[in-house]
Parts: sequence; C-alpha cells; structure tokens
Amino acid sequence: MTLENVLLLSAALFSIGIYGVMSRRSIITTLMSIELMFNAVVVAAIAFSRFTLPASLANVESPVQAAAVRLALTGHVFAVFIIAVAAAEVALGLAIVFALYRVRETTEITDAATMKN
Amino acid sequence: MTAHDWWIIAPELAAAGLAALLVIADLALRNKRILAELAVIGLAAPLFFSLNLWFGWYGDTTDPSALFGAITADRFALFFHFLLIGVSAAVILASTKYLERMPGLRGEFLALMLFSMSGMMMLVSAKELVAIYVSLELTALPVAALAAFHRGARSVEAGLKFLVLSAIASALLLYGMVYIYGFTGSTNLEIILQRLNEIPSQPDQPFGSYGVLLGVVLIVAGFAFKMAVVPWQMWVPDVYEGSPTPLAAFLSVASKAAAFAVIIRVLYAAFGSEPLTQDWSGLIAALAAVTMTVGNLLALSQKNIKRLLGYSTVSQAGYMLAGVAAVSANSGSAGFIAGPQGVLYYLMGYAFTNLAVFLSVIAITHRTGNELISGLNGMGRRSPVVAMLLTVGLLSLLGVPPTVGFMSKAFVFSAAVNSGLIWLAVIGVVNTAVSAYYYLRIVRAMYFEEPSSDEPIRADLRALAATGTAAAGVAVFGIGPWFLLKLAEESLTIL
Amino acid sequence: MLEDYFRQYGLLFLFAVIAVTVPVGMLALSYAASFVRIRPTRQTPVKRTAYEGGMPPFSPKPSRFNFRYYYYALLFVVFDVETVFLYPWAVRYGLLSKQFGIFALAAVMLFLAVVTLAYAYAWRKKALEWT
Repeated sequence: MTLENVLLLSAALFSIGIYGVMSRRSIITTLMSIELMFNAVVVAAIAFSRFTLPASLANVESPVQAAAVRLALTGHVFAVFIIAVAAAEVALGLAIVFALYRVRETTEITDAATMKN
Repeated sequence: MTAHDWWIIAPELAAAGLAALLVIADLALRNKRILAELAVIGLAAPLFFSLNLWFGWYGDTTDPSALFGAITADRFALFFHFLLIGVSAAVILASTKYLERMPGLRGEFLALMLFSMSGMMMLVSAKELVAIYVSLELTALPVAALAAFHRGARSVEAGLKFLVLSAIASALLLYGMVYIYGFTGSTNLEIILQRLNEIPSQPDQPFGSYGVLLGVVLIVAGFAFKMAVVPWQMWVPDVYEGSPTPLAAFLSVASKAAAFAVIIRVLYAAFGSEPLTQDWSGLIAALAAVTMTVGNLLALSQKNIKRLLGYSTVSQAGYMLAGVAAVSANSGSAGFIAGPQGVLYYLMGYAFTNLAVFLSVIAITHRTGNELISGLNGMGRRSPVVAMLLTVGLLSLLGVPPTVGFMSKAFVFSAAVNSGLIWLAVIGVVNTAVSAYYYLRIVRAMYFEEPSSDEPIRADLRALAATGTAAAGVAVFGIGPWFLLKLAEESLTIL
Repeated sequence: MLEDYFRQYGLLFLFAVIAVTVPVGMLALSYAASFVRIRPTRQTPVKRTAYEGGMPPFSPKPSRFNFRYYYYALLFVVFDVETVFLYPWAVRYGLLSKQFGIFALAAVMLFLAVVTLAYAYAWRKKALEWT
C-alpha cells in the first residue's frame, strides 16, 4: 500500500460524492453524497499523516525523533474535527429537510425550488 | 495554556459565552423583550477584550499568538473584531422590531447570530488550517439555521440551499487544505510558507508543483462561497430573498468581511513569497473580473429589492477581489500592502454603506410588506428620513464622490493599476458605470414615482439610530478617509 | 517450516472450533435446561410475536414511524459524535495532565458543560417528549 494508492481512493470517493451531489434529486441522497466527500477528505488526511514526513525532517537519523514527528498526528486531529463537524452539518441538514417536508410534503430538490431569477 | 493564552482568546470566548448566556436567559427569563438589549450590552465584553489587546491595558499581550500558534490576536484580527462587533450590534438594534413578529424565537435568533459572530471572530484570528476550518463551519451552520427560521416554504428553501452549497464548498476547501498539509507537512500558515520556500520547486509547474496548485485552487474555491464570488453567486439572491432581512444584512456585511479577512491571511501569510504571489494573483484577478461583471449583469433585470441587493453584493465582492489580486512587490516592500490596505478600507466602508442600505430597506419593507422595487415608490415623501439614508447608501455603493464607496473604489483600482493589472481596473470602471442603472433606478422610484398611498411611514427609533450612524459613517469616512486608512495600514503590519 | 504453518493456521482452526461451539453449545444448553425446569416452556401470545420487547405491533402493514423518532435520531447523531473528542483525551490523560496540569481536566469539563447546555436546551424545549 502506497500513498498514491490511498490518494487515488480518496480522489475516487470525492468524485463519486460530487457526482452524487450533482445528479441526485433526493435531498437525503445529496446529504449522503456530501458525507462521502467529507470521508474522502478524512481518508486523504489520514494517508498524509501516515505516509509523509515534513521534507526538512525526512532524513532524521534517530528513530525517536522520527517517531515524535509521526506522533505530531496533525492529520488525525484534522480527521477527528472533520468527523465531528460533518455530523453537526448532517444533523442540521436533516432538521431542515423535516421542516421542508412539513411545508411542502416532499424531499426532492427540484420540487423545493420556487425562487426564480 | 497559560494566563497569556486566556487573554488572547478572551474576545472569542466572550462572544461565544454571550451567545450561550442568551440561550440560558431565553430558557430562564419570562420577559423576552430585554433579550435584544442584553445582547447589545453584552457585546461590550468582546469589544472590551479586543480593545485591551489593541492597547495592551491588562495582561501580557506582547506576543499575540496563543494556543500553540493556532490563534493570534494581531492588529489584523483585531481590526476585523471591531468591524464584526459593530456590525452585529447595528443589526441587532435594527431588528428588534422585526423580532417582535416571532415572539417565541427571539432568544434563538439572537443566540444563533452571536454564535455565528463568534465563529467569524475565530476565523479572522485563526492562523492554522484546522482552526480556520472549524471556525468557518461555526459561522456557516448558525446562518443556515437562521435562513430557515420562518419555516415557510421560501425560508426553508433558502436554508437548504445555503446549507448544501456551504457543505460542498467546505468539502472542496478541506480537500485543498489536506493537500497543502500533505505537501508541506504542517497546518500552520507560517510554517507552510517556510516549507514552500525550502521545497525545490519545478519551474514549469504553477505554484512549484501540481499538488500545491490543486490545494490553492481548492482553498480559493472554498472561500469563494463565503465571499459570494462567481461561481457561487447563485445562493446569494435566493438566500437574501427567502431569509429574514436582518440576516441578509448580517450575511452581506459580516460574513463577507470575515471571508475576505481569512483569504487575505491565507494567501499573504502562507503563499506570500515571490514566485507564488504571481501565480495566485492571476487566478484571483480573473475571478474578480468575472464576478463583478456577472453580478452587475444579473442585477440589471431584478424586480425584488432584496434580490437586487444580493447581486449588488456579488459585484461588490468582485471589486474587493481586485484589491486582493493587486499584489505587486516583494513582501516587506512598501507596495506590498497597497492592495490589502485598499481591501480593508473597502470592507470597513462597505460595512457602513451596506448596513445603511439594508437597514433602511428593513425599516421600509417591514411596514409595507412589499419587497418589490415598485413598493418603494414615493418613499421620498412618505418617509423622507429613511429615503435619504437609503439614497446615501446607494450612492456610496455606486461610488459617487464624496462617499466612502468612491474612495474605496479609487484605492482598490489604483492598487490594481500599480501592480500591472490595468485591464482589471478598466473592467471595474466599466462595471461601475453599468451599475449606475440599477442603483439609480431605486433612487428614481423613491423620488420621482407616484406612491400607492400617502400614509407616512415612521421608523423605529433604535433602527433609525443604527441606520443613521451607518450613513453618517459613509459620509464622514468618505470625506476624511485618513483615519480608516491609517487603521488599515497599522493592521497590515503582519504582512 | 511446517511447524510455523501449523502454528499460524492452527490458531485459525481453533478460532473456527470456538466459533461453531459457542452458538451450538448455547442452543444445546438451553435445550438441556428445559429438562431440569430451569427454562419454562409455557407458550403465551406475547411469546409468539415477532418482537417481544418494544412497542406492540398494532397494524399488519409496515406503517410510518412516529415523527418523533427523527428528533431522537438527530440528538443522537450530535451527542454520539462528541465522544470522538473524549476518547483520545481519556487515553492520553496521564500524559496531558503531566504537561498541562489541571487545565487538561478543565478544558474537557468546559467542553462537557457546553454539551450539557445543549442537552438542557433540548430538554426544556420539549424535544425529548414523546407526545
């Protein structure tokens, strides 16, 4: 497993997410696709955190220092925050979908749009 | 975490604490009328802590950075703290009458707005990518809830559009941030700059490598949503039309200012070294040209005043981007900050201008309930004071001397010319001429059209005070721009 | 070589044996228990329903869920994810408290206070009531 492979996976997930956002009419599916995009970012963040060292520190001799750099773990922190914020985002999205369902009896994006230029 | 760190993050903590306090007060108090007053008085706390950091009254504030370099309280951040606090206070004052229409939800409205404001204050202080992302979401999520506040079909649609588009934008932003993190090994803006200088760059690739290019483009694309720049302009009119008008005022001023602050900080702090600046300067300049043109052309055919103002803010964002793109010389030289200085001045002036416009529109449409431009017919007679304030604001948006709008456009465009972007300045001037059509159409409707009724409209005193202050700022800082310019220059010592 | 092979796959075999034994053994134990009157075999209508616990089924068709379920789901989604911040903190608390002292505790308490405020808000706004 190399960094390139994981980044390709992440890019594929992200693209699927974008495709889902653009092609689906159901708001629930749109929210799921957005979640997929966030998860693609999480995968990339973890991969970078796991596979890369800062360029200036790449040739560190002592294993202790290398381990300390790995333990910087910024990518993991990034991932944790993304997960938490994405959950809040989805919760708010679902709440708005309920509100929409109450007024319009629909969860389709195209039925929701009323405002025109 | 030391006492020093507490002083540095005190403004943000005070703002978030005030919002939480409003939630508690809303649950505990029976008399909900005082909540708005409580919010405005409470804003004194974050204001005090920001002033303290600016002047250094209490505590050890010589080193502005805190929390391991994630948050900073430099002059740049404090400049925007003052702007954000002022805007929030004005919007809350002007919306007290508006809030009386939804008695059960007053506390939530104010609390969500203040949570969003504390997010913006974090956003302008953040110096690290994770902190920037989290505070960006803290500004966006309450706004989505506020947009859907009325729970009518239009309001919910506005909230949904804002939320979905904001989520997509932040996913793009995150992807870009993660790539920058991956290529530089750090999320701290200053360390990113160091690493980018250290890493050997391929001269045939923009930004030194395609990875950094992808990162920067995606980050700009993500922030473009908050700045309401093309291609994200489509949410603006819909959200402005569907959401409560005070929120539209808040969004158009505060949210935009915070987004510009963070993009200036990211671009100049993390990618501010010489070969990189030329790369993103072209990108931003193209974005600016497209944005001002598209915003203006779409505004021409609008009939609803809120939609028109929505497209107007899009084109204003285009003018401001011209200032961001105007990076001419090396960092450290005198010409380096001319562009951002113009943008900071523009943002401050724009805050006064747009508040004057939006708050007068709130004062009128709240009474008539008619949001069409024809609904403003004859307001020069029915409500002379508000009509005059609205006219001042519109003239400043158009850029007529001696208003602040004229001075800001002059600074931004001259900075663009000095950095070699003459074509951009020409496009800007042409666009300004085009925008005269729709701004003056509103003025004409107020003074030269027959009103549907002669009943005079009397505005709420608090709202009138807030609007009057904003309009006075338009005139004062247009005639004497030196104070704001000095403030902006001092705020940019970090660059 | 062969020994290594069996050590590795022998573990797998052991795992398979346990995996089969546990469920089969539990069923057998239950059956055996019915002879010594530990497990009563009285049949009642409740026992024959599809789900013994929870709401009694009141309509044969798959019907709509109560709208209130979604509020629970929403609150769950938000509060559930907060744990993600607590877990790494709890694991490394020893290290953190050495470096930051009492603040390592205070920061998380502040975080929990905010979460509790949100919970109290949901409670007071009657988001947790069934009717």
